[in-house]
Amino acid sequence: MGEAIVITSGKGGVGKTTSTANLGTALALQGKKVCLIDTDIGLRNLDVILGLENRIIYDLIDVLEGRCKIHQALVKDKRFEDKLFLLPAAQTADKNDVNPEQMKELIEGMKVDYDFIIIDCPAGIEQGYKNAVAGADRAIVITTPEISAVRDADRIIGLLELEENLEAPKLIINRIRPHLMEAGDALDVNEITTHLSVDLLGIVPDDERVISSSNKGEPVVMDPSNPAALGYRNIARRLLGESVPLMTMDKPKPGMFGKLKSIFSSK
Amino acid sequence: MKAQVTGFLKNIVNIKGTNKGLLIQLNDMASYTEILDELKKKVSDPALEGDAEVQIQLAKRHYSDGQLEEIKKVIHDHSKMKVISTKCDVVTVEECNRMISERQSETYVGIVRSGQVVKAKGDLVVIGDVNQNGRIEAGGNVYVLGRLKGFAHAGASGNKEAVIAASWLEATHLKIADELETMTDELDSLSEQPEMECAYLHTSGKIIIDRLQELRFLRPQISTFKGGS
Repeated sequence: MGEAIVITSGKGGVGKTTSTANLGTALALQGKKVCLIDTDIGLRNLDVILGLENRIIYDLIDVLEGRCKIHQALVKDKRFEDKLFLLPAAQTADKNDVNPEQMKELIEGMKVDYDFIIIDCPAGIEQGYKNAVAGADRAIVITTPEISAVRDADRIIGLLELEENLEAPKLIINRIRPHLMEAGDALDVNEITTHLSVDLLGIVPDDERVISSSNKGEPVVMDPSNPAALGYRNIARRLLGESVPLMTMDKPKPGMFGKLKSIFSSK
Repeated sequence: MKAQVTGFLKNIVNIKGTNKGLLIQLNDMASYTEILDELKKKVSDPALEGDAEVQIQLAKRHYSDGQLEEIKKVIHDHSKMKVISTKCDVVTVEECNRMISERQSETYVGIVRSGQVVKAKGDLVVIGDVNQNGRIEAGGNVYVLGRLKGFAHAGASGNKEAVIAASWLEATHLKIADELETMTDELDSLSEQPEMECAYLHTSGKIIIDRLQELRFLRPQISTFKGGS
């Protein structure tokens, strides 16, 4: 029986869809069977980031309205043999054409076949959000080190905490620019986590190649040398229950003491 | 025909001079119409000159709001006196319940996040942070064991004596009774260290922030303990 995880943020443009694509890919790389569901009906783009746009035949609405079987709508990512699938959103419908009960039923049925179902939530706190959260077992909140994004994360965490079937939400801080944080021009990781008082799942540094690889339809996580990719890979390992120390960024190599410390903290 | 008066007053309406102005005592054993008639007669007395301030003592009798208005109207229509307060020795069950609920304290453990509102009829104790755009509202005092970074409203039912106290007071908005204060830069710089502070309504009508330690001098009535051991 798999686990359904919703990726949400409240604010738009903080990297929900990019994170969904990369975490899904990272989990598939670890050998897990993953299905990504795009619930941003009317404004879909998870398919573009994964490079699967041309292969969509049916979508989420077709499945929910019974026009096709679920396996017909799923788009298989050929780069990962039978490990990564996408259930695309409809582009010609809108968010009110789906209700939370339908989503719950759909995801419940899919959990049998997958290790992870990752739900990409649209921005906002309206119908689209409610649909996305309905079938999830746990939630990951994405924020960036900007006050506006942190405010919206706070709001969304408040709403997620009201959901009875959901575990306590976890946080990913995306697009970290180490030099801004060090200069005090951006909120630092500690400030954000204490303010939101939720567990930190991981951090992802800001990197230009995230954009270029998204444009190519290849999630950045496939390039193991990239720092953002490392961030996502670490998060995927933590989702699988491993204990991975938080990555350090642009800092000098740890000395004797630092090495010892990281050995002990990683157990 | 005159009713038999058995109360503590011989007269139906008694007017006394005190150092704080005039005191009108209404007999709680007389009928309401008698009181109105007698009051009209007494206050119309030309011997009562000047625009004195009067307090009305209603004794052990409950008057409705409409009746109180009528009494005040009689005084205002027939004299230059001004009613500044009324004092009654009885309360209705309804008022009593409200007073009890306002004196009670409710506790909220958790974080009041953006968009959330926590309300209490009496005092409110929040154990946790109140984040920006989070709102806490109490009929009585507000105490935050944590960081108050959002909107706090004390004395929401009109109590101007209510206070807001927090381990870390850096609220965006403070409101006591009907007075709202947005935390401007000047106020921020006044409280360099927002740790262990309280906000109260100064007699000037402005909200002032002071050290938490000053609360026992500013609002000694908050303490429900008498003496020590």
